Amino acid sequence: MRTHHFSAGILVAALAAGLPTGSWADDQADFEKAMTAAREARKKAATVGGEWRDIGKFLKQAEQAAAKGDFATANQLAEKARRQGELGYEQAMSQKDVGLPAYMIAGSK
Amino acid sequence: MNKIIMLTAALVMVLGLTWGGVALATPQADQAIWQSYYQKRFPNVPKEDFINGVYAIDPVSRESWEAIEEFPPYEMAISQGEKMWNTPFANGKTYRDCFPNGPAIAGKYPYWDKERGMVVTLPLAINECREANGEGPLKYKKGPIADILSYLRYQSRGQLTKVEIPEDDPKALEAYEKGKQFYFARRGQLNFSCANCHVQNPGNLLRSDILSPALGHTTHFPVYRSKWGEIGTLHRRFSGCNKQVRAKPFKVQGEEYRNLEYFLTYMQNGLPLNGPGARK
Ligand code: HEC
Repeated sequence: MRTHHFSAGILVAALAAGLPTGSWADDQADFEKAMTAAREARKKAATVGGEWRDIGKFLKQAEQAAAKGDFATANQLAEKARRQGELGYEQAMSQKDVGLPAYMIAGSK
Repeated sequence: MNKIIMLTAALVMVLGLTWGGVALATPQADQAIWQSYYQKRFPNVPKEDFINGVYAIDPVSRESWEAIEEFPPYEMAISQGEKMWNTPFANGKTYRDCFPNGPAIAGKYPYWDKERGMVVTLPLAINECREANGEGPLKYKKGPIADILSYLRYQSRGQLTKVEIPEDDPKALEAYEKGKQFYFARRGQLNFSCANCHVQNPGNLLRSDILSPALGHTTHFPVYRSKWGEIGTLHRRFSGCNKQVRAKPFKVQGEEYRNLEYFLTYMQNGLPLNGPGARK
């Protein structure tokens, strides 16, 4: 909440001062950084068989949003994809050594 | 090699020390637990009836299934497949040249191919036969592959599931272990393993479906599924079950699903083949 107010404050100040609030090129560069991180996270998850279903879709949607200049949506989607990539990787690593679960062994007796 | 032996020895010692008396998780031990688990859970279902999937445990849907089986929706596929079996390739050869013991060969699959160091499934063998004879490979999920599989599996009805894990090749055991790990690993955004649904919850409802027990899960494929409105292969089903937990599905007939098939079919050893099947 606090950061919100703070950045809104800066934005208002910048507008008031008639300063440019960041160019398209900056937005594009930030977005590309987010996409690179997301793609890397996705790839890392895939190397351990942990990729989730919708990451590819999010990346595609992010690109479409960016192409329309909607960088807020684009970054949000890239961020979601990155997070899912990281979670998928962690999930797969946590499952590396699973075998027959205890309830199955107990239930067989 | 030495390393593996030493590691195994160390593992045996550690397990022996911590759990003294508990048997090592060999494939045979896994299989015994697997089969006994379902029989204990559904004591009124005769073991062989598990090949009928959810209909073994749900008398209500069994009624309509039995009516469907009177005019099986997979009959066309069987005759279509028979035609394929008997039609020579462009080079004049036929499937029989690849499978001299055919068409009743389904009980031999999947098997461990020691030379190639991989699990060979029946659909894979079919496509390799085609390619060796200058024909294009078939798509693995549905269509002509499901037709020829329907015919071969129909001809193989009554054969017993009998997957072997050759003890003289540690890579075969490794493939089995990979398939097993795949089965019990949670995956996808929903964080479910195959076992969460088909071991832990058979008989329970998932949306409009009653979950089937996994004992018997491989015997009846390919399957005519009313929801698909057509016949699909086992790997198509794997793919669908991965997607519904929001995991990215793996390549059909890729290493992951072949190993999974190897494990899952081994769990059914002793159960008769009854494909093709029909399901809701
Ligand atoms: C979220 C629950 C869920 C998970 C997880 C799941 N499945 Fe399924 N599966 C279903 C449902 C629902 C069906 C259709 C009804 C039935 O037969 O159980 C089904 C059907 C099947 C069938 C066909 C059964 C038949 O009689 O034709 C097979 C085989 C199968 N699943 C294998 C798997 C494998 C292997 C995995 C793990 C990769 C898996 N399932 C994960 C829900 C699940």
